[in-house]
Amino acid sequence: MKGRRLIIRIAAVLLLIVIGFVMSIIGRGHTIYLDNRALDYNGQTYKAPYKVTIYVGDEQLTKLYDKERGSTTCLGQTFTVTLEVMETKNGAEETQTYKIPVPKNMDGVIINIPGYLAGLPEEAYLSEFVAAPSAETEDTTGGDDTSLPGEGDDLIPSDM
Amino acid sequence: MNNLMKKKVSVLDLIRGNSVPLMFVLICAVFIPMSGFSGSYLLNEIMTRLGRNAFLILSLLIPIMAGMGLNFGMTLGAMAGQIGLILVADWQIWGIPGLVLAAIISIPISILLGLMCGVLLNRAKGREMITSYIISFFVNGVYMLVVLYMMGPIIPIAHGTLKLPRGYGIRNTVSLLPMRQTIDNALAVYVGGVKIPVLTLIIIALACLFIVWFRKTKLGQDMRAVGQDMDVARDAGINVERTRIISMVISTVFAGFGMIIYLQNLGNFPTYSAHTNVGMFCIAALLVGGASVEKASIGNVFLGVILFHTMFIVAPSAGTKITGDSMIGEYFRVFISYAVITIALVMYETKKRKSQSLMGQMLAQAQKDEEEGKTE
Repeated sequence: MKGRRLIIRIAAVLLLIVIGFVMSIIGRGHTIYLDNRALDYNGQTYKAPYKVTIYVGDEQLTKLYDKERGSTTCLGQTFTVTLEVMETKNGAEETQTYKIPVPKNMDGVIINIPGYLAGLPEEAYLSEFVAAPSAETEDTTGGDDTSLPGEGDDLIPSDM
Repeated sequence: MNNLMKKKVSVLDLIRGNSVPLMFVLICAVFIPMSGFSGSYLLNEIMTRLGRNAFLILSLLIPIMAGMGLNFGMTLGAMAGQIGLILVADWQIWGIPGLVLAAIISIPISILLGLMCGVLLNRAKGREMITSYIISFFVNGVYMLVVLYMMGPIIPIAHGTLKLPRGYGIRNTVSLLPMRQTIDNALAVYVGGVKIPVLTLIIIALACLFIVWFRKTKLGQDMRAVGQDMDVARDAGINVERTRIISMVISTVFAGFGMIIYLQNLGNFPTYSAHTNVGMFCIAALLVGGASVEKASIGNVFLGVILFHTMFIVAPSAGTKITGDSMIGEYFRVFISYAVITIALVMYETKKRKSQSLMGQMLAQAQKDEEEGKTE
């Protein structure tokens, strides 16, 4: 009886670990930056299309002209996007849906559209977004020479 | 004549037994027209708050069943839930998967804290409420130590947006924007302009079903027996201490889940103060619903949320109309929350002492009768 109980407990713990692991894969969020700008790779220049209309899901995200950037978020390791590409002004539009693999370890991902459309390898069209270091803002919490968090706070909660 | 008297007594008893909910019905009846809010706005707000708070309040039921009174230590679970959310926010796990992962992370922390709380409360039988209240202060200190000093150097925190400028410790506010209302919006339906968070309500219904089922299990029956009389339960072969610890563990784990549901609705939380008032307001809501220190039901939870939060919504606006100062309304609703808890505790103690004194009188009378019978 005790052995059975132990097995059930171990199974429950393992199940929770597996669920947690699956959640960490399918719920991994990324911020995707889509760049419509010319790309130089191996001495060759890949020109940006005149206009790219981006759809994520059923909604139109943005229209990107040359040297413009759009951003969105994505859950999981695959970014599904529909691109409506107009190569030249008043030219024909070509629409296609793409599934772009996103590295798990990157929070912000820059995807260069001309590079991706040209079928270049991942290291050419994909790079990590690194935010420029901003000026340090004062946070009153927990500084060595500041009061404890909550100290002096209004005792009335704003809402429940 | 006798029947009429009985009816009068029972009506009086009914009023006396439900004085707190009735008082709140009256307050709401006066304040709602004064506030000037439309029906759909009020319904929307109440529905939002029902989804936000009901799970947290349900976590209070099991310790009451085990005779441990109102679990002020539910803030321990709330802190565990917050730690789960901080880690998930740092790992960038978004949406419902992020919330599920936060809940899973909170489980072992809640179990540990619940165990500790249960063991300590077993050493303070009869004074569980004040002890759990003080334990929550103690664990708040430990929480601050972990979040303010250990997150960064010991517990890895990768994102600068979460960390304090000095390089360790978590900022005053944690943003849950990628998880905001993800449970509430999933399967949500709109009825007459009122948003009904169906998935949240399903989760709450599952918690209710768990409580109903749990009451019927052997452990649930043991808890009820312990709640009624610990000595009798011990004589019946129930491991009283273990049963009480389990009730605390279940309550703390539930509180952790409840806090996650609560915070996903808000979309961000003040790292060092989000949990501090949660216990107090949940207990106040439960008492407003007609529960007492020794008896509470699922019905009390829902009635409490509706009445207490209706008062919470309309009080500032009504206060502004009456006094011209919205702060009066703010103070009023906080004053009411604490007052309800105080009145409920005083009423409970008075009732207990009255019944003890009545029992003493009956015992004295029985002894007197026995002595008189002997002398005759």
